[in-house]
Amino acid sequence: MFYAQLLVNGIVQGLVIGLAALSITLVFGIARFPNAATGDFMTFGAFSALTAHQATGSILFGGLGAIVATGLVSLLAYWAVFRRLADRSVVALLVASIGIGFLLRAVLGVVFGHGQQVFQVPLTRPYVFNGIRVMPLDLQLAAVAALALALVFSLLYLTPIGRQMRAVADNRDLARVSGIRPGRVMVALWLVAGGVAGVAGMMLGIKTIVTPEFGWEMLLPAFTAAILGGIGSPVGAVAAGLILGVAQELSTPFVGFTYKIALAFIIMLAVLLLRPRGLFGQLEGAR
Amino acid sequence: MTTTRRQFLGTIGATTALIGAPTILRAQSQPVFRVGALCPVTGSGSPYGSGMQKMIIAAAEAVNAAGGAAGHKIEIVAEDTQTSPQAAVLAAKKLIDVNKVQAILGTWSSGVSLAVVPLTNDANIILMNTSGAPALSTPPANAKGLSYRYQATNDRFGRAFAEIAEKEGFKRPATMAFNNASGIGNTEGFRKAWEAKGGKVVENVVYEPSQPTYRSELQRVLAANPDVIVTGSYLPDTTIIMREWFQSGQPVKWIMPGWAASPDLVKAVGADVLEGVISVDSVSNENAPSYKAYDEAFRKVTGQPGQSNVYAAMTWDMMNVLALAMEAANSTETAAINAKIREIANPEGEKVYTYAAAKEALKKGEINYEGASSILDFDQYGDVTPDFGVFFIEGGKLNRRYVVKI
Repeated sequence: MFYAQLLVNGIVQGLVIGLAALSITLVFGIARFPNAATGDFMTFGAFSALTAHQATGSILFGGLGAIVATGLVSLLAYWAVFRRLADRSVVALLVASIGIGFLLRAVLGVVFGHGQQVFQVPLTRPYVFNGIRVMPLDLQLAAVAALALALVFSLLYLTPIGRQMRAVADNRDLARVSGIRPGRVMVALWLVAGGVAGVAGMMLGIKTIVTPEFGWEMLLPAFTAAILGGIGSPVGAVAAGLILGVAQELSTPFVGFTYKIALAFIIMLAVLLLRPRGLFGQLEGAR
Repeated sequence: MTTTRRQFLGTIGATTALIGAPTILRAQSQPVFRVGALCPVTGSGSPYGSGMQKMIIAAAEAVNAAGGAAGHKIEIVAEDTQTSPQAAVLAAKKLIDVNKVQAILGTWSSGVSLAVVPLTNDANIILMNTSGAPALSTPPANAKGLSYRYQATNDRFGRAFAEIAEKEGFKRPATMAFNNASGIGNTEGFRKAWEAKGGKVVENVVYEPSQPTYRSELQRVLAANPDVIVTGSYLPDTTIIMREWFQSGQPVKWIMPGWAASPDLVKAVGADVLEGVISVDSVSNENAPSYKAYDEAFRKVTGQPGQSNVYAAMTWDMMNVLALAMEAANSTETAAINAKIREIANPEGEKVYTYAAAKEALKKGEINYEGASSILDFDQYGDVTPDFGVFFIEGGKLNRRYVVKI
């Protein structure tokens, strides 16, 4: 029972990590660089959700606000910076994304201040199933996450633009000679990656508190999940996020709360050493 | 009157020299002793920082009005720590290397003080802080004995928590600590004091900052069925913990440090959740004449009562103690001043409450400065023992019920 409760705690945590990892892995698969601004996109999403929620009083509108605003900011980052650096090395893009993260954090700090902000959501007692406590809020957030995932996956696997995105991810040059215009694919990619990060930020913000630094602090677990899931694999990212969240919580009776964070890195290390392509990744051939 | 070219050039030259010289020289020829005011004007210390800085300046004005210290006029150079160790180190470097300050007063939060103290030690100048971390008492932080603390140590907070838990009749306390020197200092201080009273702590949990949820941590603590949870926590983590605890539905009481259980916490989680939470903070030496002098000065510059900022009373005392030690040493050398600090602040000697009166009393013999923030008796580590106010959160308000002395 004790472990079942830890499992439930871990799933909620894992969904947030999984969504952030999904954003990272999409960008990595298609634009081919690790986007270190993902954490700050999350923060931006949380603040836009907070603003929309305060204005309308509705979580739903908060979520829509997060998706739209963060998608646009992410697109803006692509249009202003990443597009111009597209032919440079991965390192140049990585450093540029760190810079964009700094900029976003600083702007949010100036606009909203560095003090903590909270979503004023009513606190409710948990549902109890066979002694396992489940928060109504967590159920709602899980539903939001599931919806976001369903949307992203149907976009990727059921629509023409999704097929084009996957084609570019698979082999950019082949996609180009097949007549796929990378420009449209990139616009779609950055809108989706931003929107997903925005939802993750809102979920994290509702569960915890919102400060200009809070997304940045989630970046490492999210990267770990992206690597564990196999870089470039959307399904892998979400699955790995869940595995990480659950593994961290289940480990606490044995290693304590301080070292559960280290566990994420031990898992990442083991994956890199034993199975570098991750759980769902494909072997990358020579390009 | 006709002006020759030579006279004209002379006047221009003199004026230029005068403009170029520091402000002080234009007014008088008294030498200057520069002091850095390094307070958290922005960042999480911002509710306190600006008042702290203003009280250093106000105390320096009072010192200068009484003729200065050791024949010197005090000049304050103010900088902002932004409540961030990185920003504080840069500001301290600037104060030491550019402004050539001879002491730094007013650092707040343990991370900031621990980051600044190596710089003041290297520069061989005095640092006076308002932080709680036990590490500030001992080497390497206080290797040279140049660091003085005006706030209670976290260990003393822990002892106060134990007193309160006993007084309130709790039997099965558990602890939750933020994983840093300050957080663990609080709960370890509590554990030691509680076990010395013959009690037993049913569960100790140390948790990490910036986690999306603390539900598993809470689950562990609540599984031990405590009647009270004592924390060494901060505002952000406490916000998350209190919400998740309330949702768990298990009744338990809480004892927390005042910087976590503050009006900001009430704003963040609501009055319902916090009903009955006990918030403990050091309180000023409110019945002393020195407190009256501080309160007047504080009201004059901020328009608020002196009680609204316990740290401002500490910085007021810092400037007074430093100036009195200078006066007693009749020197501006760090070693000479440092040797006098305990002499003028600790017992044996006439009790004094304001700089002007103390300066007079010094001419006759030993003095004992009784501060606005506490009676200011420094122990061998440069630490003081203030009194603790016990506040109950009732209907969203922090009501002070009683004061605990340890």
